[in-house]
Amino acid sequence: MPEFDQDRLDLARAIQNDLAQERTLSALQARSFVRCLQTDWDVETIQWSANDSDTILQQSRYLIRAGKVLSTVGDGSPEEATLAFRRAGELLEWLARARDRIGEEIPTALFAAGCYQLGGLPAMASGLLRQVVPDDRGSRLFADFLKADFDAVLRRAAGFWNDNRDLTLRGVEKEFFGEGTEESVTWFGTIELVRCIGLAAQTLRRGDTARFSVALDRLRDVERLLVRTSPDDVALLAFFLRSACERFGTSTIYEPLRQLGLLNPERLLDVNQFARRQYARGRGILWQSQKQGIERLLNNSSFALCTPTGSGKTLVANLAILKELLILRDNQEGLAPLGLYLVPSRALAGEVEAKLTGELGRDFVVTGLYGGSDWGITDAWLTSASPTVLIATVEKADALMRYLGPMLLARLKLLIVDEAHQVVLEDNERERNALAEHMNRAIRLESFISRLLLRKPNIVRIALTAVAGGAATPVARWIESDPDAQPVGSNYRSTRQAIGVLEVSKGSPRIELHRVNDHRLGVRGRGDVYIPLKIDPMPEPLSGIRNSLNHFTQNSILWTALHLAGDDRRILISISQRPELTMGWYAEAFDLAGWEDIPAFDPPSEGDDAALFAEARTVCIDYCGENSHELRLLDRGIATNHGQMPQRLRRLMVALIDRSICPITVATATLTEGVNLPFDMIFLPVLKRTMFDVATQTPTEYPMSAAEFRNLSGRAGRPGAAKGMEGLTLVALPIAPSTTAAGQLGTHRRQVRERRNEYDSLIARLRADAAGDGNTKSPLTVLLRAIRQQALRLPGVDDNEDFVRWLEVTAPATISADAGQARATPAARLADRLDELDTMILAAVEETEAISAVAATPANTEAMLTQLWQLTFTQVAHATEEWMEQAFIKRGRGMVETIYPDATERKRLYDYGYAPHVGKRFEPVARTILEQLQQTVGYGTMRPEARLAVFIALGEAVADDGGYGFSIRDTEMGRTLYANWHEVLRWWMAVPGAAGPAPQDLRAWQIFTSDNFEFRLGVAIGAVVARAWSQGTDDPLDTPTIDTWKDVTGLPWYAFWAKELLRWGTLDPFVAFVLSLGIAKSRPEAEGMRGQYLAWLEEEIEDLSSEDQIDPSNLLSWSKILRTPEAPAARRAPIAAELAGTDGRAGRYAVIPVRSERRIRWLDASGFRLAVSAIPKDFPTGFRQPNDYDLLIENGEASVVRTF
Amino acid sequence: MHTAPPPKKALNAWLSKYPSEFGNYGHLLLEEKQAADANLQRDFVPYFESAHLDARGCFHRLARISLHPDAGDIGCDAQYPGSLPLTARKGLFGEVMSGMMSETYDFVGKHEYLIPVFLFRNHEDAGQYIYTLSRDATRTREVLGRKGDDFIAIVVDEEDNVTRFIAGEAKWRGNWSPSVLNTVMLGDKIDDPADKTKRIHNGKGVWYEVNRALPVPLGLEQLHAVLEECEPDKFAKVIASLDRILARRNPDPVERTDMILLVGGPPAKRNPGQALLPWETVPDEYKAGRDLQVVELLIADGDSLINTIYASLWAKEAALA
Repeated sequence: MPEFDQDRLDLARAIQNDLAQERTLSALQARSFVRCLQTDWDVETIQWSANDSDTILQQSRYLIRAGKVLSTVGDGSPEEATLAFRRAGELLEWLARARDRIGEEIPTALFAAGCYQLGGLPAMASGLLRQVVPDDRGSRLFADFLKADFDAVLRRAAGFWNDNRDLTLRGVEKEFFGEGTEESVTWFGTIELVRCIGLAAQTLRRGDTARFSVALDRLRDVERLLVRTSPDDVALLAFFLRSACERFGTSTIYEPLRQLGLLNPERLLDVNQFARRQYARGRGILWQSQKQGIERLLNNSSFALCTPTGSGKTLVANLAILKELLILRDNQEGLAPLGLYLVPSRALAGEVEAKLTGELGRDFVVTGLYGGSDWGITDAWLTSASPTVLIATVEKADALMRYLGPMLLARLKLLIVDEAHQVVLEDNERERNALAEHMNRAIRLESFISRLLLRKPNIVRIALTAVAGGAATPVARWIESDPDAQPVGSNYRSTRQAIGVLEVSKGSPRIELHRVNDHRLGVRGRGDVYIPLKIDPMPEPLSGIRNSLNHFTQNSILWTALHLAGDDRRILISISQRPELTMGWYAEAFDLAGWEDIPAFDPPSEGDDAALFAEARTVCIDYCGENSHELRLLDRGIATNHGQMPQRLRRLMVALIDRSICPITVATATLTEGVNLPFDMIFLPVLKRTMFDVATQTPTEYPMSAAEFRNLSGRAGRPGAAKGMEGLTLVALPIAPSTTAAGQLGTHRRQVRERRNEYDSLIARLRADAAGDGNTKSPLTVLLRAIRQQALRLPGVDDNEDFVRWLEVTAPATISADAGQARATPAARLADRLDELDTMILAAVEETEAISAVAATPANTEAMLTQLWQLTFTQVAHATEEWMEQAFIKRGRGMVETIYPDATERKRLYDYGYAPHVGKRFEPVARTILEQLQQTVGYGTMRPEARLAVFIALGEAVADDGGYGFSIRDTEMGRTLYANWHEVLRWWMAVPGAAGPAPQDLRAWQIFTSDNFEFRLGVAIGAVVARAWSQGTDDPLDTPTIDTWKDVTGLPWYAFWAKELLRWGTLDPFVAFVLSLGIAKSRPEAEGMRGQYLAWLEEEIEDLSSEDQIDPSNLLSWSKILRTPEAPAARRAPIAAELAGTDGRAGRYAVIPVRSERRIRWLDASGFRLAVSAIPKDFPTGFRQPNDYDLLIENGEASVVRTF
Repeated sequence: MHTAPPPKKALNAWLSKYPSEFGNYGHLLLEEKQAADANLQRDFVPYFESAHLDARGCFHRLARISLHPDAGDIGCDAQYPGSLPLTARKGLFGEVMSGMMSETYDFVGKHEYLIPVFLFRNHEDAGQYIYTLSRDATRTREVLGRKGDDFIAIVVDEEDNVTRFIAGEAKWRGNWSPSVLNTVMLGDKIDDPADKTKRIHNGKGVWYEVNRALPVPLGLEQLHAVLEECEPDKFAKVIASLDRILARRNPDPVERTDMILLVGGPPAKRNPGQALLPWETVPDEYKAGRDLQVVELLIADGDSLINTIYASLWAKEAALA
């Protein structure tokens, strides 16, 4: 190390330490941030002097210099300089956003963006530059470059060359340096900067590394020139441009992709095109978190990627798919490779499917599987020869394993687990009960992945999680099957997240901020940070509302949201439970006195947005009704979303939010758990859920966990999309009673105190959570511990030995006669928890037999379970206790030896997919269902009433059972609905003339429908159909097809459709079919198309039978004629050109078009003219540069072809 | 990097000097003993070449290699700084002479100045072009900030710590008449806001710039960058010292001498030895309270001197080429 380097590093570190400690702002820095927030919110700012601005600017300069030293001197590294650059970026950003006068002197926003690029926060850079748009042409060009928006850079460069045509001529340098020239060298520097930046932009997106280096070298030379000849700020700008360019060079997606391409040169073209498409989407430059993930990917190992929401995990997943399924595909293998992408919810499956189809749809079959347990019309992937990505919930994956295990495992190459932290479970009564009711997702995830690892230890697997802290490391250990594994990840954030409260009172609402990016925000000595909103107080409501503090608070939130929704803000009101209540309050609020003048919502009137809004409205009327709260709110620009909303409507609502058509959303956690939808602001009316414990008949309150809150607040923040860079999560806190009734004041005061305490306690938990990693609980631990605790209370079970012996011999039925019916007695709970444990063990036993053909002897089972235990999350996450492994294994032995000794029974129970004891109880019902299905031969031509009767008969077979039958909420509404379920079904299946619910009851009906018809009845039918298929085939690798399905199952087509009909809420397979293929948007529209189908069918088939009408192959044939053959993509005809400015010696040149009125000049991206041509018909006007063009010289003829 | 020693002998032969130093004010008047001749020009060339070497390298690299995609395409046969227009060369000349003076003569406080490299900043406001991508920008970037110092030299102690800067303004005028002098020092004339019939100086002249100059000269950052780029080892300790100064974390005091160089033709009515600015006491307009060094270099035929010198730079190289 050169002498004195150490001194320099020490100094730089000292500066970084003084001014840029993570999570610590000095008083002045904090005030600067507050001032910037206040400017954004257009409220009076704190006291601030020009001197303060100078000090902040100086600090940023010190930090930039320190950052330079740390990243370049001696052993310095860019990573070490991160904090210095980030803080410098923040300081400059806050000045820029506060519209500080310093910005007139130096381009603070550009410099902030430059700092963010060097600090590894590219999204902050582009977010800021989208928000603070520079005035000048040059500044805009540099802004686009710092945003890595290369298409825009080229567009601006093209505009520049159009205005300065003389500069596009070869040898123009002479004008600046020849004898007696009067041109200024500074102007020369400017031109060269434009040349370099244009060339860099183009070569980056084309992946032309050789010419990129030329551009970068040149940029370094230009920087040298500017350092010597220009003022400080220009020299600094040149530094940022050059440094960003260097970063782009090392972060381009071409780099790792080409390394992947080396694994199979035949795929190099695919790989390059994939990279180019990423550039077209603005994702060509990898973020640090992505680079880390991809590095692991290149090294061919499984890993857990743990980075916050919005850090680009999906791209890593896509590359994994590309690598494992396409690049490494062995063409000799007959079976197309398969990737399984596990998502936590059906809603997310839809989102991921859409996303992956957009990116990978050319090379892959991408299909989202949305629950259910058998094969459906959308499952064409099974027989496809293309590599396939299945997007499924763990329930569906489990079903696939049961149904098609051997085939699935033979093809499966890659497992991606999204939101993998959801395997972690809180140990509380609610979760323990969910385990007993077989409704817990976490244990399914633990069970499925552990079993998959057992069967296919070499499968490549990737876990994605946004939750840092506690869960990340255990998840990494598990997913890598390595007790020492660490998650790949960084504390990269693409947004800044602030947490605080919305103070609700009878005055104007006020925001109080407490935490930013996991650190406390306060101005030392001055207390908390307030933003008094410039919103009129909510008009005083009548006593009915005033007397409920909750109602008053929630209305205040709506009032505030409606006034903030301008400025392109996207606002979520996140409801912890009973969204129907809030929705009803909100629907009515618009009729309250004083609400007439709130800003009106203008629905989109043209284009795709208008079509989408109209579609959502139609579907909303179809599924919710004309008078529903949902529709009333939609017409006010408020989207709604909850877990029981019909799937079709839910996806449309998500689209309305995603495209910012509806600025406000009222939703439950289902939305934010599942879908990656960022909001600018999130309001929470309450921080707890109240659960009614049926067993004890008491309500229990569950405060929102730190993890859930973190996940939720992680959705806040769309940098640059709206006014303000911060995602705000605000808990609404009433600060005074809303009632004026003396008798209620006491209650309100208590509630005010409680709400504040709940908030304070949440903040304390967040702080603790940020500080260290909590104690990770695994589902299996919670389950085993609950079983043991209860068992030790039984007579004769006094110690561990007793307990293990008890496990080996005890069937659930012997513990309680109520076992398998979701009863709340302690004995029934114990039996059901044991049954839940048996579910996992039985699956492992059966899969070992079916897939690995190992007989389930007691000894084999013990050996197998010993192995399986090692692969569980419980074991790898160190969440285990000593006795657990033995208990697990001995229970397995007991199952095959004593409890379920009959192999054929075990196979049957496994096939049904229920917990084994539930399955056992289901068996007689299964026979009934099978008979009914077999008898339903004439469904195709039945009248609606007869069709409904078929469903009612099936429903009756299961309805009254707590295990596999209907789940009834223990409320008056729940009981009423159960008593009238035929009517609910009639409504749901859209039988003509059926009466629907009153708006306030809609959600209860939807819950009943989704719990019982879609889910439970659907599962029961699916279980029987799946079993019929398995029994009909001998070949374990067989896959169902439409051609063979009927023969193999021996069932009429009704059985094929039943589940699909329940899902779409229709009695008509035709309607379900056109909805599932997206041919029709709503049920009425689908019905309107039926005549067309029948007319076609009658032409096609003589002697039409009832079965023909609903034969899926007929429906598919019909659907094919609907597709108008797409006009073949306009051939990219070469454009004849004339060389001008080159002799064409290179044979091929990458060029950009600069179109003028009469011709196109084709320039090298550095601005030199190479050819001219006439303007082909349909050539786009303007300077936009989305495409790549090559100038080709062949046989003396020059032509231009579009290559992308 | 700048390495050539100043042509002291030639200067002595050419110029008479009238130095004075009162307190922290130094004044040096230089008058021609004889007109500049060919010998003088020859003696000046090495110094000027040395001063321009670094910038020349930069320009030539850019000018001679083009980004044109045809491989090996050369740009133009650039000749920097010789090919620059006269006005630009006058600016450069002033800066080089500032260096030469501070390396040759005793300035106030008798410090030994070191000029590692000449920066030639502020030919014009590069920001105008760069931010607007336009040569005739209608937008006037609001120059709230300081213009920056034209010329910087440093003083280092025996430990290679930087202890002092000299920085300031060099002004070339063909004829230093009293009205020209006033305009340069006090700013352009404007209407008097108090009395519309009168014209007054706007107060934005050299004195204004010098008075508000920062203790750490603007441009030091770039000097630091060039040292790091070109001679990181030779100037390792200086670089580390500048680090501390730029970060305002220097344990030892570092001081600044303000320098004002007025160069060009003497006014018509002038007696030998008569200075343009007061020399016995610090001029009233100077308020910064630091060490101030004024140099007046009055020469008759400056244009031709500049033309000849710049025509001779790298003449051999040009002849060989």
